[in-house]
Amino acid sequence: MIEKILSKKEFNDWLKELRKSFEMIGPKTQGEQIDFAPLAGDSAPELSFQNSRLSPKGFVQPASEKMFQFTVNPEDPEAHILKEILQETSSRLVVGIRPCDARAFNLVQLNFVNPDIQDPWWRQGRERLTLMGLGCSNPCSTCFCTSVGGGPFDGSGLDLLMFDLDQDYLIQACSENGEALLKAGPGKTSTEEDQKKAAQLKTKAEESIAAQVSTDHLKDQPLLGLFNAPFWDEVQFACINCGTCTYLCPTCWCFDIQDEVHGLEGIRMRNWDSCMYPLFTLHGSGHNPRGEKVQRVRQRFMHKLKYYVDKYENGVACVGCGRCVQFCPVNIDIRRVCQLMNDYKAN
Amino acid sequence: MVDYTKEIQERAKRLLEDKKVDAVIGYRQGTVPMMNEPILVRETGKTDQLYWDSFCGVNLANYLTKRKERLAVVAKGCDSRNIIIHLQEGQIKREQLHIIGVPCLGMLDRRKVWAKLGDKEPLLVREEGDQLLVSGRGFEERLKKSDFLQDNCAICIHRNPVLYDELITDPVKEPQRTDRYEDVRTVEAMDSGARWEYFEKLIEPCIRCYACRNACPLCYCPTCFVDESRPQWVGKSLDPTDVRTFHYLRAFHCAGRCTDCGACERACPVGIKVRQFTKKLEKDVWELYQFEAGMVLEGRPPLDVFLPDDPEQFIK
Amino acid sequence: MSEPFEPKIITFLCNWCSYGGADLAGVSRLQYPPNIRVVRIPCSGRLDPKFILASFRRGADGVWVSGCHPGDCHYIAGNYYARRKFALLKGLLEHMGIESGRLHFSWVSSAEATKFQQVVTEVTEAVKALGPAQHFIKKMPEVA
Repeated sequence: MIEKILSKKEFNDWLKELRKSFEMIGPKTQGEQIDFAPLAGDSAPELSFQNSRLSPKGFVQPASEKMFQFTVNPEDPEAHILKEILQETSSRLVVGIRPCDARAFNLVQLNFVNPDIQDPWWRQGRERLTLMGLGCSNPCSTCFCTSVGGGPFDGSGLDLLMFDLDQDYLIQACSENGEALLKAGPGKTSTEEDQKKAAQLKTKAEESIAAQVSTDHLKDQPLLGLFNAPFWDEVQFACINCGTCTYLCPTCWCFDIQDEVHGLEGIRMRNWDSCMYPLFTLHGSGHNPRGEKVQRVRQRFMHKLKYYVDKYENGVACVGCGRCVQFCPVNIDIRRVCQLMNDYKAN
Repeated sequence: MVDYTKEIQERAKRLLEDKKVDAVIGYRQGTVPMMNEPILVRETGKTDQLYWDSFCGVNLANYLTKRKERLAVVAKGCDSRNIIIHLQEGQIKREQLHIIGVPCLGMLDRRKVWAKLGDKEPLLVREEGDQLLVSGRGFEERLKKSDFLQDNCAICIHRNPVLYDELITDPVKEPQRTDRYEDVRTVEAMDSGARWEYFEKLIEPCIRCYACRNACPLCYCPTCFVDESRPQWVGKSLDPTDVRTFHYLRAFHCAGRCTDCGACERACPVGIKVRQFTKKLEKDVWELYQFEAGMVLEGRPPLDVFLPDDPEQFIK
Repeated sequence: MSEPFEPKIITFLCNWCSYGGADLAGVSRLQYPPNIRVVRIPCSGRLDPKFILASFRRGADGVWVSGCHPGDCHYIAGNYYARRKFALLKGLLEHMGIESGRLHFSWVSSAEATKFQQVVTEVTEAVKALGPAQHFIKKMPEVA
C-alpha cells in the first residue's frame, strides 16, 4: 500500500479539493467539548485534540434515525402503506477519526452486516463513509487500545492513516479506497527518513499507553462460572444505570424502534437505547429478566468481554477508547472489571 | 487538621465490628484523577478501602432507596438533607440508618480543572491544604482549590450535616446566607424570547442519556414519566421539544425537594448546567413558602402541605 | 383578506365549581368568546403538570385552569394543593420562555356565571394579543 508525505499546507489544500466529492466531517469544538460534526464552508477540522466526547458512531447509527413513514389520511392514495424513508447516499469523508473509533466499526459490522442478516440502514451509513484517520501521537491516560487488539497507529479500520510529523503529514493507505484517493492526491512518496520518524512516533505512542489490561484468558473462562462469579456484587454497587457508558461507547449498538404519530401522519424511527435502563428488557407480559441492577451491569461487561468473544472469535467488543472510564459518573472502570474477569478462578 | 479518610475508616470498622450495621456505604479512591467510586463495605477487613477527598461529589443518598439492611452512610451536608427527604418520603427507615456525618468544605469540579489546564492532561492530582497540585507529562501546577469549587458548592450554606449519628470532626463554619439565586435573576431579567433562547442553547447538547436523572437521589420512581407509554407524554428521540419536556418536567418533580447537591450537573457527560432548571423552583419555594428542602425531619415537602393563605395573586 | 387569529385555549375546569359556573353561563345565555376547549376534571387538584405541558406540545395557544375557591373545594383541600402546584408551575414555565399571558388560573364557583364570562374574555384577549404559540410545539420529530 502506498505512503505519501505532504506538508500541512498541502494537506489543507487537498481537503479543499476533496470537498468537491465528499461531505466533510471532522472534529469541531461544540461548547465545552470536541465532537465530530459536518464541517461547513471551508472550515478546517480541529486536529489537535485527544478524542471526541461522543464517538463518531452517530454518523453510521444516528441517535435518532427515521426509518419509515406512513399516513392514514383518506385523501392520500398511499395511505396505510409503510413507506421507507430513503436514506442519503452521498459520500462522506471523516477526517481525524482515531484508530480505535474506526476499528469499532469493524467490530460492530459483524453484528449488522453478516451472511445471515443485514441491517440496510447501518450498512448504508457505513458504506457512505471514507475514513481518514489520525494516529494518536499523544494517547490519553485512560486509553488501552493496545490491550484489546488495537493501537494508536492501527490502520485496520481505516482507509487512510495520518502520522503527524510536526510540519508534515505522512499518510498511509490502508484500503483500496484509501489507496485510490491517495494516488490521486498531492504529496511525494515518503522517504526512508520520513518512515523512520513515523515508526518512532508509533513506538513512542504505544509505549506511552500506561494501562495494561489482560484479555488472554477470557476465551477460556467457563461462561457460567464467570456469570455466577462473586465479584459482580462489588462491581455493580456504584452503578446508577445512567446509560452514559453505552452512549459514549463506539462499540455499543443497542437501539429501540418506535412509532411516533401526529394527527394523521406517523413515522417509525429508531433511537439509541441502553441495556443499562431497567425497561430495556421488560417483556410485554410484565416479566423482566434483568430487573435487578446487578443483572444489567453484569450483562454489559459479559456481552463486551465474553459473549462477543465466544460468538465472533474476534476478540473483545471494546476498542480501548477510554471514554466510559473517563465519563462514568461513579468511576466504574472497565479495565478493572476486565482484569477481574480475566483472572477469575472458579472454586 | 483531622484526617478525614482515617476517621471514616476507623468509624466504619468500629460499626462493623460492633455489628451496629450490616454494611457501610462510602467512597473508594478512583482509578482516574479527580474521581471517586461509591462502595459498599460489609467486611471489617475491607474498610481500609474507604477514602475521602474533595472529589467526593456523588450523592450517596442515591443508594439508599428501598434497601432493607442496616446501613452506615457517609454523608455531607447536602447528602444528609437528601436522607431527610428519603425518610420523609418513606424510602428508608430511620432505624436502618447510621449516618456518619462529614462537615464538608466543598467539592471540586474536575471540568473546571480541565478547562484551566487546556491541552494538558492531568495524570496525578493531590491536595495540600487549600491547594491542588496537578501534574502530568511535563508539567506541574498549583491551583487554589477555592477557584475550582463545583457551582453548587460555591454558594452552599449547609455544609454541616443536618441529621447524623456521629460527626467525624467538629462542624465547620457555615457561610452566611449568600445570594444563591444570581443566575436565576439574570434569566428573570430577560424577556420571554431571550429566555427561550437561553434554555434552547443550554440543553442543545443533551443526548437523553438520563445520567442527570439517575444520579439524582430524588429520582427513584419505579417507572419514570419518560417511560410511560399509555399515554406517552414525552418522545424518546433527540427532538428539541421532547428534550425540553423531559428536563422541565423532571425539574418540576424535584420542586421543593431539590437540595442543590449538584449530582445532576456532575454526572452529565456533555456538561449541561442542569441545575439551571431546578434553581428557579428552589428560589420560588423559598420566597413563596419559606421552605428549604431536607432541613427538618418532622416536616413535609412543600407540595404535600398548604396554608390557608398561600400566595395567590396570580389567580384570577 | 386573512382571517383574524383565533387562539385555541385548552381549559381545565373542575367538575364541581368551575364547570358548573360555565354551565350556568351557558344556561343564562351569556355571550363569551368561543375559543376555549373544555376538559372536565374532578378537582383542580387533579391537574398534573403533564397536562399543561401536553397541551402546549399539541399546539395549544393558551391553557387555563379553573377550580373552586379556597375553602369551597368539594374534596376539602384539593384546590389548596393545586394552588401551590400552579404557583410553581407558572413560575417555571414562564422562566423557560413561555410568554406570560398564555397560562392562566382562576377560582370560579358554580354560581359565578358572570365571573366565568369575564375570565373567559380576559384569557382569550390575553392569548390573542400574543399571537399563535411559537414555542414548545411537538410536531414530527426534528431529528436527522
